[in-house]
Amino acid sequence: MQETDFFKLSTSTALMLLVGFYGLTFLLSMLIGKKKENVDGYMVSNNAIGFGLSAASMIATWIWAASFYASATSGYRYGLSGPLHYGLWGALMILFIYPFGRRFRKLAPRAHTLAEVIQARHGTSSQLIMAVSNLIGSCISLMVNFTAAGALVSILSPLSFIQGVLIAGLGVLSYTLWSGFRASVMTDFAQLIAMILAAVVIIPLIFFNAGGTDMLAANLGNLSEQQADFFSTKAILEQGAPYFVAVLAYAIGNQTIAQRLFAVREDLIKSTFLTATLGYGAVVIGLGMLGLLALLVGLEPANGNMNNIIPQMASTYLPPFGIALFFILVVGSLSSTADSDLSALSAIVMTDVYGKNLARGKPCPKRMLWLGRITMVVATMLGVIFASLRLDILVMLVFVGALWGAIVFPVIVSFYWNRVSNKAFTWAVVSAVALFTTARFELLPLDGIVAVFFELCASLGLGVVIGLMVFAFFNRRVAIAMGVGAAIVSMPFTIGFLREYVVLLSSLTAYGVSAAVCVAISLRSNERFDFDLLAERVTSFHQDDEPAAAQPGPVSTGGGRIAAARA
Amino acid sequence: MTNMLLTGYILVWPVASAAVLVALIVALIRDMRAASRDGDSMI
Repeated sequence: MQETDFFKLSTSTALMLLVGFYGLTFLLSMLIGKKKENVDGYMVSNNAIGFGLSAASMIATWIWAASFYASATSGYRYGLSGPLHYGLWGALMILFIYPFGRRFRKLAPRAHTLAEVIQARHGTSSQLIMAVSNLIGSCISLMVNFTAAGALVSILSPLSFIQGVLIAGLGVLSYTLWSGFRASVMTDFAQLIAMILAAVVIIPLIFFNAGGTDMLAANLGNLSEQQADFFSTKAILEQGAPYFVAVLAYAIGNQTIAQRLFAVREDLIKSTFLTATLGYGAVVIGLGMLGLLALLVGLEPANGNMNNIIPQMASTYLPPFGIALFFILVVGSLSSTADSDLSALSAIVMTDVYGKNLARGKPCPKRMLWLGRITMVVATMLGVIFASLRLDILVMLVFVGALWGAIVFPVIVSFYWNRVSNKAFTWAVVSAVALFTTARFELLPLDGIVAVFFELCASLGLGVVIGLMVFAFFNRRVAIAMGVGAAIVSMPFTIGFLREYVVLLSSLTAYGVSAAVCVAISLRSNERFDFDLLAERVTSFHQDDEPAAAQPGPVSTGGGRIAAARA
Repeated sequence: MTNMLLTGYILVWPVASAAVLVALIVALIRDMRAASRDGDSMI
């Protein structure tokens, strides 16, 4: 690390900011703390959170520390359109996901996790696929956020990386442990206010201190032809398209989003998601502009590390007060996501591991609550340890991305099409992950007939993505027509071309294969699921008289509903 | 003209962020009043 490139806060200032931030957040969580927490409240609050809190929490959760760095990197690499190809697609995915979210919520209004609803729909194997992908995803997110804390602290203060990781881990755990999700949502609001205020001050300050409009006029020539092109194909193919495909999977596969979906008042889902789309887009694209500015002023990232772009810009163009604001901005973003990850992990262990499996139909709410708290402590310890080891998580990230990409179609279609079976769900995911892995790691040489096969799968995947997005707002026929049309029209362009873009090829393959397998097996199925069963099977845990967990299984064959014994 | 457009392109995002912030604060205040009036907990 080229330490001379960065302004450093003093140890006392850094500690004061961290202690002040986490101290105030802890006090805020005390305002809503109850001596006896309700087990359902611990996971999804009262299922009736208002618009302000839920929208703020959605934005704060969706924005993590990597959002700033990745958006700025995109701006630095791809120029004018770069920040849009990170922030806009991330934002739009929140928008595209809400119609599906409303459907999930309507079918299972008392759900705690999406995996729980999948269990009620299909059974344990599908639930476990969903729960495991959620668990790994949240663990990785936790580790990345703690790593970001360590990096920030070590770059902008004399404190060490490990000290930064430990302070963030203990700070987040301290205010989330007792009240769980309720504390996460409550503190998200305050953290988001701090983040937005910091962004609103920092972006113009850096812009004008870097020379403002005059600097733009003088340095626009520094951009390459692609960087100066607002519709750069390089930016679309290398950044926009792969990210677009990835975040659709993220929105479905991430429990932090599902948890907020089940927590917000049902009639406020649309306004919450729309506002979250705007808020996320504005903040993340805005901070991505710092990468564009860095490109324009000719900044070279220290040690060639793109993650240093924003800290370097802050160090170069902000006064100490501004750097303190930047410090709070990053700590706020990583903490709000980390507390959501802790809440998500505890909800999955409480509901999907204990409530629906280990408890054998008789979950004890008190035991469940303590299991959630223990999960938070263990997850924080693991997050801190893995962050301290600075593990290379690329392979794990790739696999989680594949798993999420593979589950998007089966998950969504399971709640609209009554013929989708557990077998169809499971085989769709397994085969999609297998073929994704083959393409992503080039286990077979991507040329000749093999490459054409994967390009056909990817074309199908493109059709699936387009079809799902259209289905979010239009009816099934329009969606199928658009999806099939997109797949057919794209084929002449993808065949012989997409093999050069392996990330995009493999991601789209996951979508295409999972959809093809799911549809093929479902069409051969005689099962007809009665969606009304979901609300009966997915209920609150906090019931004094009877156990809440129910076993999946009752399906109709040939149109008639088969009654099934329930716990 | 291009430079002014580019300046607007860079600075419009903090303005939009501020607008979202105002909307969220107003909504929170309304929720707090409603909760207080109904004797409910907000969360």
